[in-house]
Amino acid sequence: MRTPLFDAHVKLGAKVVDFHGWDMPVWYTSIKAEHIATRKSCGIFDTSHMGEIYARGSGAVAFLNKMVTIDVSTIEQGQIKYTFLLNTEGGIIDDLTVYCIKPQETYMLCVNASNKDIDFQWLESHNSGSCILENKSESTSMLAVQGPNTFPLLKNLLGFNLENTKYYYFKIHTSPQFGELLISRTGYTGADGAEIFMDNKNSRALWDKLVENGATPCGLGARDTLRLEMGYPLHGNDIDEKTSPLEARLSFAVDLNKESFIGKDALLKQKNEGIKKKLIGIELIDKGVPRQGCICLKDNKEIGIVSSGSISPMLDKGIALCYLDSAVRVGDQVEVLVRDKKLKAVVKKPPFVASQIRK
Amino acid sequence: MNFPDDLKYTKDHEWARIKGSRATVGITDYAQKELGDIVYVEFKDKGTSLTQGNVFGTVESVKAVSEIYAPISGTIIETNAALLDAPEKINSDCYGDAWMIVIEIKDAPELDKLMDSKAYKAYVEAEAKGH
Repeated sequence: MRTPLFDAHVKLGAKVVDFHGWDMPVWYTSIKAEHIATRKSCGIFDTSHMGEIYARGSGAVAFLNKMVTIDVSTIEQGQIKYTFLLNTEGGIIDDLTVYCIKPQETYMLCVNASNKDIDFQWLESHNSGSCILENKSESTSMLAVQGPNTFPLLKNLLGFNLENTKYYYFKIHTSPQFGELLISRTGYTGADGAEIFMDNKNSRALWDKLVENGATPCGLGARDTLRLEMGYPLHGNDIDEKTSPLEARLSFAVDLNKESFIGKDALLKQKNEGIKKKLIGIELIDKGVPRQGCICLKDNKEIGIVSSGSISPMLDKGIALCYLDSAVRVGDQVEVLVRDKKLKAVVKKPPFVASQIRK
Repeated sequence: MNFPDDLKYTKDHEWARIKGSRATVGITDYAQKELGDIVYVEFKDKGTSLTQGNVFGTVESVKAVSEIYAPISGTIIETNAALLDAPEKINSDCYGDAWMIVIEIKDAPELDKLMDSKAYKAYVEAEAKGH
């Protein structure tokens, strides 16, 4: 599959890889350069492969409240909240954001590319008809514009002042040139910025205009190192149907006081019994790059496994998210087994690099 | 992409510069471009004897891990220790500063199995098309 921007990527000389069935740019010039451009100036990412599912109707809130881990009724107009779809065992089917377009009436769920069909089927299979679900992923494009220069750029090109939109809020902005845009103050990089949703027919023009005006095209490679520096989990690596939000230390996006939702009983049980492993960061002291699947050791005893790892372009050190034994503490020195070498590392609570987001 | 005429090349994208009984070895311009930003490199120690095609090191980019193979049999008589602290040189100067090891050649006729720059260029073009 290809996004509407595929030709633009090829024209820019992108190295294209397969990502869950999508031909996506992994980098244009260099992951490091794109990473640094995002932190220091402005990076632009094609995230059109992600999914947008609309939930509408008077039964939408009650239905979503049964399906996700937060109380959807508390999301105000123009607000966004991060949440999960769980299975009955409390495992994470997907992580997503819920956009309140009109309270009690219209919500948009922004879901992972690799899970959008799974999510839609899961939702539909629990829908008695009280909620109208529509998968608009195919016709919707999404651009992430991230970094400090996003603010002047959007102001100059769109006449849109992102300063007036709070973190995790959005506005609908109609541009004579680019049509109706849903602009949210969100992202997956830890750099401040926006994510812009629009109809497919408008995305190429907006992409070209942003690039022309200095936004650096960034591929999935930089997207991954940026999110890893912030400790943001990636579904399929750090969280999946076998891990719970409690183990992933994401309970901020779970409301256990809510009456009921799929997976709640399993989470309560897990909470009472205590979790055995937790998602945490390690930063390497030795030279080297920890990768997914590398074993972690403490005092020569196996204590866990890396769920995603790479190098931090800002720190120039190996960093990783890993599931470690709950007894391990922040500041502990551990080792990570990379090929045949035990590399020294220290347990850290992410982010590895300070977030630039002004809340 | 640049493939100097005075080098010999392997199908795994290493190059060898032959001087007398010694071969200086590194990875090619094509290899560094495919890997992207290189962030880590390691090789076997001086004194290690290698058979043609043996792994003698590992190179890692942000995204990928790749093994490096001996273009020829022999003994490692020198390694580029400076490269360990500056692996990004492999991206900027793969045929110069970013040489990796020097092998004392054991079996010179093996050199015939390597490609010259013209053959390697054709090989790389075919591989790139296959992508």
